[in-house]
Amino acid sequence: MKKSKKPASFNWTPYWLILPTLLYLAFFFAWPMFQALKLAIWEDNALLRLKDSVNSSRFTVSLAQGTLVDIIKDETVALSPEELAGAQAGIERWYLLEFTGDSGPLQAWAPESRIRLPENTEAIGALAPVLATVRSKIGSSDPLTSVYVSPDDNSEVISKLAARTEVRVVEGVGLEHWYLIHPKNTPNKQGWASANMLQIYNDQSARIDRGNQGQFTLKFIQKMFNDRFFRPALLTTLLLTLLIIPVQFVLAIIMALIIQSRIKGSGLFLYIFAIPLGVSELAVGILFFAIFTQNGLLNSSLESLGLIAKPITFLSADNKTGIIIAIWLAEIWRATSLVMVIVVSGLQAISDEILEAAEIFGAGLWQRVRFVILPLLKPSLQVALILRTILALQVFAVVVALSGGDVVSVLANESFRQYSDLRNYNVAAAYAGLILLISMVSAVIYLRTLRAHEEAGL
Amino acid sequence: MTLDPESQQLQRRMKRRRALSRGLIYFIAIFISLWILVPLYFLGSMAFTDQASVRAYPKQVLPLIPFSLDTMSFFLKSHGILKGLLNSIIVAIITLVLSTLIAAPAGYAVSRYFFKGRDVFRLSILAVRAFPIVILAIPLAVVFISLGIFDSVYSLALMHTALTLPTTVLILSSVFASIPYELEEAAMVFGCTPVQAFRKVVFPLVLPGIAASAIFTFVMSWNEVFAASVLSLQNRTLPAQVFFALSQSSEAYQFAGGFFMMIPSLIFIFIIRNYLFNMWGQVSK
Repeated sequence: MKKSKKPASFNWTPYWLILPTLLYLAFFFAWPMFQALKLAIWEDNALLRLKDSVNSSRFTVSLAQGTLVDIIKDETVALSPEELAGAQAGIERWYLLEFTGDSGPLQAWAPESRIRLPENTEAIGALAPVLATVRSKIGSSDPLTSVYVSPDDNSEVISKLAARTEVRVVEGVGLEHWYLIHPKNTPNKQGWASANMLQIYNDQSARIDRGNQGQFTLKFIQKMFNDRFFRPALLTTLLLTLLIIPVQFVLAIIMALIIQSRIKGSGLFLYIFAIPLGVSELAVGILFFAIFTQNGLLNSSLESLGLIAKPITFLSADNKTGIIIAIWLAEIWRATSLVMVIVVSGLQAISDEILEAAEIFGAGLWQRVRFVILPLLKPSLQVALILRTILALQVFAVVVALSGGDVVSVLANESFRQYSDLRNYNVAAAYAGLILLISMVSAVIYLRTLRAHEEAGL
Repeated sequence: MTLDPESQQLQRRMKRRRALSRGLIYFIAIFISLWILVPLYFLGSMAFTDQASVRAYPKQVLPLIPFSLDTMSFFLKSHGILKGLLNSIIVAIITLVLSTLIAAPAGYAVSRYFFKGRDVFRLSILAVRAFPIVILAIPLAVVFISLGIFDSVYSLALMHTALTLPTTVLILSSVFASIPYELEEAAMVFGCTPVQAFRKVVFPLVLPGIAASAIFTFVMSWNEVFAASVLSLQNRTLPAQVFFALSQSSEAYQFAGGFFMMIPSLIFIFIIRNYLFNMWGQVSK
């Protein structure tokens, strides 16, 4: 029943109607997706960009974190209050002091470390005079504190103050050291870097400690490959997918045929078959844990029936097969309903005449299923297959509930572990990207092979 | 009517074969039903008995063990459960409202209009539906942390809306498609504006379908555990709370929690069972 209301002129209405969905998905789906993939292959602050002079905004070269560099010269610049608010480590504060010297009032500069200020005096710039005292020097040959003509300890010393001298602070500045550096043995790649990006060893050499520019990297993907849980998780995920899907489809088709046979009570059967559709993955994990745990339903019933003498351990660290079987059954229990619903919708689209015709021509049940129903169901099955494969690659809570997430692990669980336990967002994103990649590849394979069959059949 | 003995025999054999195959269908149907129901019944028994019966071995089911609210109330009184329940309900309701409000116009557009890019839109919605939640949750968490809205029920609801939106669009478009356009047209012939036609004719007819889709959205959000675990620390939803407590909790807690989480879906799937195919029909076409 799709009709265009105004076929003559261009109709903007549908676009307005889908706009909210598009915007929402762009902001909460496409953008995070992009960010995710970026997290996996992009290392923030991997490089340090060097400036061609301290106050310039042009950059000369970028050096990788960890590079050892030679220092050629250094320079000190005063930061504005805004710059200071944004700056992190490596800032030196100097204060302009007023005090009474031998020949009357004097003004001189002293570094932050030498002055005891009242608490919460962070201000920079001209201050309403604040009372402060000079700190005492411990373990130094000279007990007096030098104060300078400008905020630089190489400048001329105006006076020397004794410890606990009372002074008035009238101005403060934040200073940042900048260094002209180049990597060891490559003097042509030189530029300026601020002190808080560097780890200074001595006057001549330093190491680049932090960066301010991102870089493409395969480091996180490599880290994922080298993780000791990676191979088992990948193999288990693929194995589970291979084990779950065929059984699920056979069972779903049988369930759908039962619903479609319109026997008495098929409404009730439909409800029962559909129950797992609404049950959460975690609840199913707990449900199957209740069955397979050592004193659970299965052992209880086997023992009550006298089939076993003592409980069997199904879920233990050295019984991986048992855990995988339990996960397999749990997933079949949980997710077959979804396939069934899609298959039933597909079956409803097949006209009764075709099935009757097949029956009249003597086709048995199996023949009808094999030669009439399955070929006509192909589009539904294709969708169900893609959807189920992708969802099977994401099994998570069932696995954690049944194995604790250690003994048997899957990719989604590894992603969660990297995120939650190890705080390794980049590797977590690499795992997520891998799941995405496998999902996409399998979807493409399904679309290709099913289409190829179609063409071969024609 | 008289038939020769040979065709009578044939008819009888046909009948017998019919009865036999019907018996077989019932047999399989009951077998599959038991496969689904027996575990549920066992877990339900564990949830509604006293804790001694939960610890006992071999375990038995109701009515062989005493009926009691002991286990369930133990679970509900455990740390963080009531708060988690409240959070779950808030998240699910926000998700339901947002998702339905945003998806309804899109569903209407897809079912009523031919427009350039319609198939691309539907395909991309389907693709989004199939994307791994895992991929979204982690970067969104990083983004939410940087925006300062991490660990809040509202940010989780935003995330859940993104997860349920595609399904809701597909379901609602098939709900709208089930209402013939002729009805709207007729209303407009009789003098309604398009908006009036929608409000007075289409809306009452699709209301049950929208309600069914909203219930399904609620259940999806209620059940979601991965994003909920990634995006919250203090303000956990019920599944996230149970998930984190799983390894250090008693069987009574686990079983009662597992069954408690299933209750809404047992009720809601019953309410919307007749809409299930309506909802999923569109997906496969």
